[in-house]
Amino acid sequence: MTSPNIAGLTVQDLSVRYGRVQAVSGVSFSVADGASLGIIGANGAGKSSTLKAIFRLVDSTATSMHFNGTSLQATQPHHVVSLGMSYVPEGRRVFAGLTVRKNLMLGAYRSNWRHLGDRIERVYELFPALKRFDSALAGALSGGQQQMLAIGRALLSEPKLLVLDEPSMGLAPVLIDDIATTLRRLRSQGVSMLLVEQNAKLTFGLTDRCIVLENGRVVKEGPSSVLRADPAVRQIYLGL
Amino acid sequence: MIYFLQTLVGGLGMGAVYALVAMGFSIVYRTMGLVNFAHADVVMIGAFLAATLFVTMHLPFAVAITLAVLLTAVIGLGMERILRPLESKDLNLMLIGTIGFGIMLQSVAIVIWGSFGIAVPTPIPNVPIDVGGVIVTTYQLFVLAVSGIVMLLLYVFLDRTKLGTAMQAAAMDRSAATAMGVNVATSNAIAFAIGSAIAAVAGALVGPLLYVNPTLGVYVGIKGFAAAILGGFGSIPGAIVGGLIFGLIEAFAAGPLSAYSELLTFVVFAVAMMVRQTGIFGERTVDRA
Repeated sequence: MTSPNIAGLTVQDLSVRYGRVQAVSGVSFSVADGASLGIIGANGAGKSSTLKAIFRLVDSTATSMHFNGTSLQATQPHHVVSLGMSYVPEGRRVFAGLTVRKNLMLGAYRSNWRHLGDRIERVYELFPALKRFDSALAGALSGGQQQMLAIGRALLSEPKLLVLDEPSMGLAPVLIDDIATTLRRLRSQGVSMLLVEQNAKLTFGLTDRCIVLENGRVVKEGPSSVLRADPAVRQIYLGL
Repeated sequence: MIYFLQTLVGGLGMGAVYALVAMGFSIVYRTMGLVNFAHADVVMIGAFLAATLFVTMHLPFAVAITLAVLLTAVIGLGMERILRPLESKDLNLMLIGTIGFGIMLQSVAIVIWGSFGIAVPTPIPNVPIDVGGVIVTTYQLFVLAVSGIVMLLLYVFLDRTKLGTAMQAAAMDRSAATAMGVNVATSNAIAFAIGSAIAAVAGALVGPLLYVNPTLGVYVGIKGFAAAILGGFGSIPGAIVGGLIFGLIEAFAAGPLSAYSELLTFVVFAVAMMVRQTGIFGERTVDRA
């Protein structure tokens, strides 16, 4: 297995339980620096819980969980982002009562706020639709715009690894294409990505490797191009 | 007309105090989702501290109120720290914890200051000023001015500073805020400290208007609580507007039916809540797909 000291994210034997419900059981994976990994699976397979555990937002156990050599288990939840990993939560979770600009700035909460102008401009270049809502409340944006804001907010900390939980959820196909284009652009700029999705087609197109979760366990893993061709995966997750 | 304006001015003075108390309830509620039932007693402790420092220790009022605010803020920090273990278990336990903390504060006040209390003179000469037939006292103006400054400071803190923005974010979505790097526990502690500090300002200002005694919290606190609900619990502008309206209702009710003024005030409050359950500035969350 991978050593915890390599660059990137390594997770070994991660388990999450909520009371009597075992949401994740012994999941292991790694995302090397510059690489991208997809996690696909049905609703309730344990995908979101895995991400929440990495960001220390739920209690979990693991034999090891490291990012760039730092143990995540020894890191306080609000310090995880400082390690160079940022989170686009499921359902966007923008701060509805704050302006778009403040939402973006909060993404860089751990940085000096005096020098964020360039970073914010870069997000507006990536998502031109957001720019004119700069001083509008995030709660007034459409679902697609809120998703862009959630991604933009995560980019403000200039992460090495971007972790996205169901960015396509509830979006119209044309907006999903937009988001996918942007994510592809970020990949080409060298940002690593951990992408959780129910939309397997989208995930295969954006990642090098994938793991398939069922009932909290890894049931399949391999290069995205191979999984895409796997008959069982095609039948269950692509409906082909 | 003169009578109307006169009552209006009187109502705004007490209303400003209720607004301060309501702001303390609201800042803790919006940050943590917790109703701090000890808040009324924190107001009382703030009033006693200010009165002791000003009357008994003969410190200048500005020094007395500043020290009282700082000490009360520390009490607020202590309360959050003591009750923090309950928060991760169940917020309802923490709520009950605040009730207990309030009872403790009352008991401590009785042990330290006795059950009688302190009469506080006004810190500035209380001179009536005739403004076109309406009599305004200098102390009323003083209360309004100090309250206004506190409200402005809180607004600037929440809206213009990094920490204030982070606190608002933590209030809206604590796990998203945590993922951004906001320490929610610190944010909660600061909310408690600020709420308590504002309570001390309210307590210090109300001292010369009422008699400072261990049950002061019941008198001012319940009305401040009602004012917060009237304005929309958790909303800072709501707390201000709710407080002022509450002061006005009380002042207008006191004129014709002084014996029943409290009753009338709360009847108006109850009816207002039936008409608009969320309060004036009640926030409705927008859920978009």
